[in-house]
Amino acid sequence: MKVIKITIISFLILFTTAQFAISQEDIKIKKSDFRIEIKEVGFRDAWKNVKEGEKLFSAGLGTFPQALEHYLKAYKYNSDCAKLNYKIGVCFLATDKFYHATEYLEKAYLKDNNVTDDIHYMLARAYHLNLDFENAIEQYKAYYSSFSVKELEKFEVGVDNYIKQCKYGMDLVNNPVRVIINNLGERVNSEYDDYNPVLHPNLDIMYFTSRRETEGKDKRFEGDNKFFENVFTSEQAGDVWKKAKLLDNKLDSKGNESVLTISPDGNQIYLYNGNENGGDILVSELKKGNWKSPKPFSRRILSKDKETTIAFSPDGTEMFFVSNQDGTIGGMDLFYSKLDEKEKWSEPINMGAAINTIYDEEGVYWHPKEDKVYFSSQGHNSMGGFDVFVIERDEEGMWSNPTNLGYPINSPNDDIFFKIDENGKQAYYSSVRDNGAGGKDIYKIIFLGEEKEMKLKTEDVLLAWNYKPVDDMFYHDPTELKVDTALFMVGMVTDSKTAEKIKLAKVEVIDLEESKVIATGLTDTAGYYQVKIGKKKDYGVEVTAKDYLFFVTMAQLSQKQVVDSKIQANFQLDRIDVGAKMVLKNIFFETNKATLKEESTAELQRVAGLLLDNPTIRLEISGHTDNVGSYRANQKLSEARAKSVVDYLVEQGVAKDRLEYKGYSFNQPIADNNTAEGRAQNRRVEFKVLSK
Amino acid sequence: MKRITITFFSIFLAFISFAQTGNSIEEEIKELQKKAKLMYNEGVRLAQDGKLTEAHLKFDAALFILPEFAYPYVERAKIKILNQEIDLAKKDIDKAIEINDNVGEAYYLRGYLKLLENDYQNALTDFTHAIQREYTKAEAYYYRGLMNIKLNDYNSALIDFTLAIDKKYDYAYAFNERGSAKRMLGDYHGAIHDYTQALSYDSTIIVAFDNRASCKIKTGDFQGALEDYTLAIKKDSVFYTALNNRGSAYYQMGKFESALKDFERVIEINKEYAPAYNNSGITKIKMQNYLGAEDDLNKAIELDAEYGEAYMNRGYAREFLGKFPAACADWQKAMDLGIAEAEKYLTECE
Repeated sequence: MKVIKITIISFLILFTTAQFAISQEDIKIKKSDFRIEIKEVGFRDAWKNVKEGEKLFSAGLGTFPQALEHYLKAYKYNSDCAKLNYKIGVCFLATDKFYHATEYLEKAYLKDNNVTDDIHYMLARAYHLNLDFENAIEQYKAYYSSFSVKELEKFEVGVDNYIKQCKYGMDLVNNPVRVIINNLGERVNSEYDDYNPVLHPNLDIMYFTSRRETEGKDKRFEGDNKFFENVFTSEQAGDVWKKAKLLDNKLDSKGNESVLTISPDGNQIYLYNGNENGGDILVSELKKGNWKSPKPFSRRILSKDKETTIAFSPDGTEMFFVSNQDGTIGGMDLFYSKLDEKEKWSEPINMGAAINTIYDEEGVYWHPKEDKVYFSSQGHNSMGGFDVFVIERDEEGMWSNPTNLGYPINSPNDDIFFKIDENGKQAYYSSVRDNGAGGKDIYKIIFLGEEKEMKLKTEDVLLAWNYKPVDDMFYHDPTELKVDTALFMVGMVTDSKTAEKIKLAKVEVIDLEESKVIATGLTDTAGYYQVKIGKKKDYGVEVTAKDYLFFVTMAQLSQKQVVDSKIQANFQLDRIDVGAKMVLKNIFFETNKATLKEESTAELQRVAGLLLDNPTIRLEISGHTDNVGSYRANQKLSEARAKSVVDYLVEQGVAKDRLEYKGYSFNQPIADNNTAEGRAQNRRVEFKVLSK
Repeated sequence: MKRITITFFSIFLAFISFAQTGNSIEEEIKELQKKAKLMYNEGVRLAQDGKLTEAHLKFDAALFILPEFAYPYVERAKIKILNQEIDLAKKDIDKAIEINDNVGEAYYLRGYLKLLENDYQNALTDFTHAIQREYTKAEAYYYRGLMNIKLNDYNSALIDFTLAIDKKYDYAYAFNERGSAKRMLGDYHGAIHDYTQALSYDSTIIVAFDNRASCKIKTGDFQGALEDYTLAIKKDSVFYTALNNRGSAYYQMGKFESALKDFERVIEINKEYAPAYNNSGITKIKMQNYLGAEDDLNKAIELDAEYGEAYMNRGYAREFLGKFPAACADWQKAMDLGIAEAEKYLTECE
């Protein structure tokens, strides 16, 4: 018979632990489950720890941390016991170290798929709390499937809402809000649950509720086996909260109590007392520096049911409170009341289904300056447990639908008792997060503006000249006076298609007799260059520019006119475009062979330079012949020659995959094969731009 | 000193005996010019051999013979520059220009001295005068390129360095500087190529490693950049800007612990280097150590009260600490110091 416990633990205290909305199974670890037959050493102590752990586990949530300590000691003896792994996982789920739960629950399942009836549920909870929503959904579904039709008819298994929460969670996690969330530290938080921060209007004192063990107050509440609630205070000194102290005895009851809010003048404090009339709101006045004994708040508001939190509008004429009194939609709901002409609180109105859900709403708080009300809800698009929501009243007095404050403010655990400052920059609330002090803790939220780019500072020396030896600048060649016979070659370099002027084109003048570069010039922004040449004669000229094919030609200056010591020579360059072709005029091979002659080097270097300067272009190198000889022999030769060029370029550091080679035999003549001159032109290598 | 005096005296006697020969005036002038040029050429040869004192005397003698001879002034100025007699060198250079406006090298030297005084605009003019007067050695273009860089005219600098390299293909410094000009023009691949060339000709130019690394970062090659920065640091263990840059590369790669180590090392080397505190501060923000970040940024601002970026960053640190009024005050200060972006963040303070 499957054991099903679908008990909703009552909120005698303000809220419960999210993951135990459906309670865990208290399976017993039997000696036979735990004992390892061949391992006697250590068994006795380990078993003692198991028994201690079991006792504390059965006692309730409040002693889970102590149970966990014993279980972990026992685990050293036998880490393969499925039930022990299950118990450890469940204990971790109840703490702020819930991220360890997955490991143990997975192992429990691995060791025994049927370790408990609710193993899928617990695994789902562990994944859910650790934001692993996809696996959580899978496990929730597996848990649901484990029920028979009859069982499903009889019990409300209630995983649908968790699955929804996981889906909302995915969305919220993918769109995080920019906040910093800081634990208030051990001066405020304890290893037990600490929650419901309430700031004095001066912002220098914080009241909060704690379930820590206190001297003379070591009784546990039977509902969850945790210590009773008590109110503590901490004072702020600069950026630091001082060590928390128990609040004035006069406000202390024998049961659970919590500070709910303080009036704007600081003279009234509102408290929750769990012993009063099913849980009521009390108010205490500050007289001559002392808090008077608390008295029940307005009878119009209080009922035999539970009233928990309360929040007043900035002018004190309206309020919200949380109760499960008549008119609730489900569990704890938000109710509204306002002062009438006689200064009496009106009959409470349930805020309706747009704000209240069939699940619980709690922790209501009214913004100190604006018509914004914050509260927590397990419904709406909560990603799990209580999430914080905000509603806003428009100019016509209508309250908006609740908006989830987003991740990471909200988490799959309980995020509740949210109190924001008047500037909307900081808030305090209670949450269960990784590496807290223990249990629920109080956190400060800092709302960040839009993401800002931080300014990294790098500095480079940039120039090397500071490191240059000074005497490098001196030349000791005897200087002779000369008659100036300067002659300049001048002109423009332009784009062959658009006639656009090309700047920074390099013009090199080569003395053909001496085979060396005798002058180099660069075009200016107007495409104009000027280079000094020695004599009026014919020169070789090479023109190169970024994004253009290089251009080599003969400048026949001997036939040109000199004007003002200048000879004009203009050049046009072809832009590197896909399909652009260029005949490599100065590549030479040994006769009928594919062996490159040394005099080809200059031209090949130019092609290599083009490829290295334009690292994205790809070229086809093609070989061509005249029509002397057979097609087949010429095809072989033309391809071999193209390949030789490619091989050379690869040697120069050009990536192989940027080059293709082809032999076209005599299929693509560019001149008449009937003349010697034509045939010479047809014997050539050229390239074509395949891509850039 | 005594030896110098004797040498000079013997030259003077030679001149007197020459003056007493009784030739025609024209011939005498030719003779004087010949003699002065001889002295000058001897001086040049001595200077080439590193015998600067003797060379100086020869130039003195040349000028004694022919006071309106520009070239000895130029050569003598060079020796004075090497001897750190800058004011005397200036006088010689000015004199040379006064005598003969066509001596390009005189303008070149004057440009160089102006460069040392950070008078870049006038230095640029002088280097241009030198080039116009056919003093077209690689160095002239190189230094004019430098001036163009200093005056933020990177296109002109690029042309000058290219001309310098054309005149001296292995001019490593010119490759480095041209790389920097390309970099300033946004041509990072071209710059990397030039820095590589600079290093292939002279691997002692450590700044080229640093510069190449910074360009690699711009092209997204963080690993290559780290390697270059590391090479620079290996060659000069106290090259703190390279360390700072490597830390910045780690920061950009999200390796905050390594970044922090580098910034801490920079601070060990140079406690007065404000950028290292700034960078350490923002790294600590990334590591969620906001208080540590605020301390570092306080220090950066203490070292440089006009450090706008540090105010911006301290504002972020303070925002994370929830110190909103202080954060807003920092952004206001940053805006006052010319960080335009701060205005956007100040809207959050309203």
